[in-house]
Amino acid sequence: MTAPSTRPAISVEAVGFVYPDGTRALADVTLAIPAGQRVAIIGQNGSGKSTLVRQLNGLLSPTEGRVLVDGRDAKGRHVADLAATVGLAFQNPDRQIFAGRVRREVEFGPRNLGLRGHALDEAVSAALAAVGLSDQTEANPYDLGYSRRKLLAMASVLAMRTPIVALDEPTTGQDARGVGRVQSIVGSLVADGRTVLAISHDMRFVAETFERVVVLRAGRLVLDGTPWEVFDAPNWPLLASTFLEPPVAARVGANLGLGSTPTTSALIAALRVRGA
Amino acid sequence: MARNRHDGRRGGTDLSGRLVAREATAAARVPEYVTRAPTGLYVGLNPTTKFVIALVEAAFAFLVRGWTGPLLVLAIVLATAVATHVTRRMIPYVLATLPLVVSIMLVNTFFYPGAHDPIGSIGPFTATWTGLVAALQATLRVVAFALSVAVFSLTTATDDLLSDLERRGLGRRGEFVIGAAVRTVPRMIERAGEIVDAQRARGLDTQGGPIRRIRGLLPLTGPMISSALGEVEERTLALEARAFTAPGRRTEIRRLPDTGAQRLLRWGSVLAVAAVVGATIAGVISLP
Amino acid sequence: MPIQLAIVSYRYPGTPRPVLVNMDLAIAAGEVVGVAGANESGKSTLCLVASGLAPGVVGGRLEGSVSIDGATTASLKPFELAQRCGILFQNSATQLSGTTRSVWEEIAFGPRNLGLAVGEVVERVEHALASLAIQALAERDPQRLSGGQAQLVALAAVLALRPPYLVLDEPTSQLDPQGTRLVGDALAALAAERGTGILLVEHKTDLLARLAGRVIVLDAGTVALEGAVADVLSDAALHALGVEPPSAVVLQRAVADAGLTLDAGALAAAVGAVGAGADVRVDR
Repeated sequence: MTAPSTRPAISVEAVGFVYPDGTRALADVTLAIPAGQRVAIIGQNGSGKSTLVRQLNGLLSPTEGRVLVDGRDAKGRHVADLAATVGLAFQNPDRQIFAGRVRREVEFGPRNLGLRGHALDEAVSAALAAVGLSDQTEANPYDLGYSRRKLLAMASVLAMRTPIVALDEPTTGQDARGVGRVQSIVGSLVADGRTVLAISHDMRFVAETFERVVVLRAGRLVLDGTPWEVFDAPNWPLLASTFLEPPVAARVGANLGLGSTPTTSALIAALRVRGA
Repeated sequence: MARNRHDGRRGGTDLSGRLVAREATAAARVPEYVTRAPTGLYVGLNPTTKFVIALVEAAFAFLVRGWTGPLLVLAIVLATAVATHVTRRMIPYVLATLPLVVSIMLVNTFFYPGAHDPIGSIGPFTATWTGLVAALQATLRVVAFALSVAVFSLTTATDDLLSDLERRGLGRRGEFVIGAAVRTVPRMIERAGEIVDAQRARGLDTQGGPIRRIRGLLPLTGPMISSALGEVEERTLALEARAFTAPGRRTEIRRLPDTGAQRLLRWGSVLAVAAVVGATIAGVISLP
Repeated sequence: MPIQLAIVSYRYPGTPRPVLVNMDLAIAAGEVVGVAGANESGKSTLCLVASGLAPGVVGGRLEGSVSIDGATTASLKPFELAQRCGILFQNSATQLSGTTRSVWEEIAFGPRNLGLAVGEVVERVEHALASLAIQALAERDPQRLSGGQAQLVALAAVLALRPPYLVLDEPTSQLDPQGTRLVGDALAALAAERGTGILLVEHKTDLLARLAGRVIVLDAGTVALEGAVADVLSDAALHALGVEPPSAVVLQRAVADAGLTLDAGALAAAVGAVGAGADVRVDR
């Protein structure tokens, strides 16, 4: 039996998924994510990213292959059961938000997991503080703008304190401050030992925030590595084939012959090395 | 069906400025999947014709005294159902009439006023032959009506009917409002499914006995309705932004076929039913 | 004769505080004006006011005047406004009519409403589909599209109305990088070839750097920064206003802060634009 620390938090084994109407969304995806890793999932619209993430908390079940969450097969397990392990913040917050008050919305998840009293209050306050909505506890979610509702949906999942957190397009529609908040949330989750997955179209956010990048194209996993590896020039045609582009920093670095520089700091470091 | 041929232009420019040679006919026609109309002897009829037939059948089933009305309608409806292969799908419609049918049978058999030909008694309640006959007749009317509604809705797309009615004078607002209303229920059910999924992903327990499930899902209903209503304002805004309230008729891009024979059928059947119903009520003719 | 907002203040119905305060803005034909700002700074409200939907359909109180090609929005009916100024909302899901069976019909919705000839309707739909490269979606059910696909369809539907002005509220928010580029190209072509005046609200300042000639930055309902795109997007105050500067500026600043130099040519080539995107100055 493998020791808990080396057992992957999530293991996706040759997973395929076909929707009831016959559309194939995933084909032969294999992926092992160790606990505490920060993983970004990127790919064109419709490449299967959301479908993949939904296999992890049981909302969808693989039609081929299997998904192991924390060593146990997710097959046959109730979604509510898996929700204690995998928290998922939906891309569209309006599909998730249902309460009339911000506080009640955030309380829902941890309450379902059995938190009460002081522990519940603490979880809720911490989550609201992380997203910057502490002053809106009594507000109606629909009085907040779309971007703040998105942060609210994220807070609702954070309050559940799950060991694995999945964020579907967390920075869409966020201003600079919002993106910064999301980045620090990811940072503090990881500092807490949790595993974080995020689907995103923002290549700069992906390169700066995540240590591993997984690229999907038409339901298949076509590239898997660090931002340095994934955004390196030889992979650009592959990225283009799934409607992606490398971050500007990577392109500058390549133009200057500096090798792979997926982020601003990487570019600076490379310039220093070259003695510019 | 009108062929919408765009004549005149030889070509055009796409947004990047390149001249785009226009193929002779392909580029300027409404696509087939938009204009496609159903085919078949009954199914291919103009939806307004089918609608009128359904109304006429309903009138005949309910307004003509005696057995003839409902039996005739039942025969026509069943024949149509067999011809259009929808018999099995009609079952839910029949089942939906069960509660009503049961109460009709009970009330009429046991409580028919002024009946003096008892069949037997259960406790203080006496069943009568007259009552039973009335019950059976009323049941037949209800079932005939339900089946005619079934055959109509199973063979006619709401969109088809509404766009045809719009052309005949219902107007764009009528078409939109009725269409949106009809779509609302399935859409809300789907939406409910999504919301329940999201809450399951937050630990909401939807397993267990029915009471437990209802208790779990109850808090979702209010917010689900209010968010659906909140969307209405945005949708109204979006409609205005797309010139929905412009005056005049909307461009027709799809015309469902109609023939002189069908027009004759529609008017003829309405007049025929009116005549027969009037005659039976006036006592001029008497049907079994 | 542009869209002109003259000393405009606006508040929503039933609210005491105005969301826009003393705004002056003009968008000329063929011009792309970028709008940036933190969330809740009034960008979406500006879109509603510029297009005339506020107060026309939304209600509320407008002080000052908004006119499109000389006619005040107050004097125009909603369908007349729609023909002069197209608007794309932030939430594309509610923008679709929900009553059409195919994307083709959805895009035809606007032109049909105007009673245009069938040939004209067909031409506009095909053109809109082609300009956003979504011909493959034409047969699909609009209710079954992904967020990004729905956003493209909603944009195509607005383009089919061929208004002389466009007001777009974050039109690429759900699109992948190439989708964003494609929309950018389509908008640039519209401005350059058809002379469409475009008000473009975006968080993606890289996109604004490529497309806009002028940029305004909103803060609490007023214009905090205004000017040529190169000046505004390299202004040091951007971050404090909740706006992320374009990648080129971020890189140049970081490099300069580290005491290094960056070859402007390499930067320009990387940003992939000639002109505004690359020649941003770094203000210390």
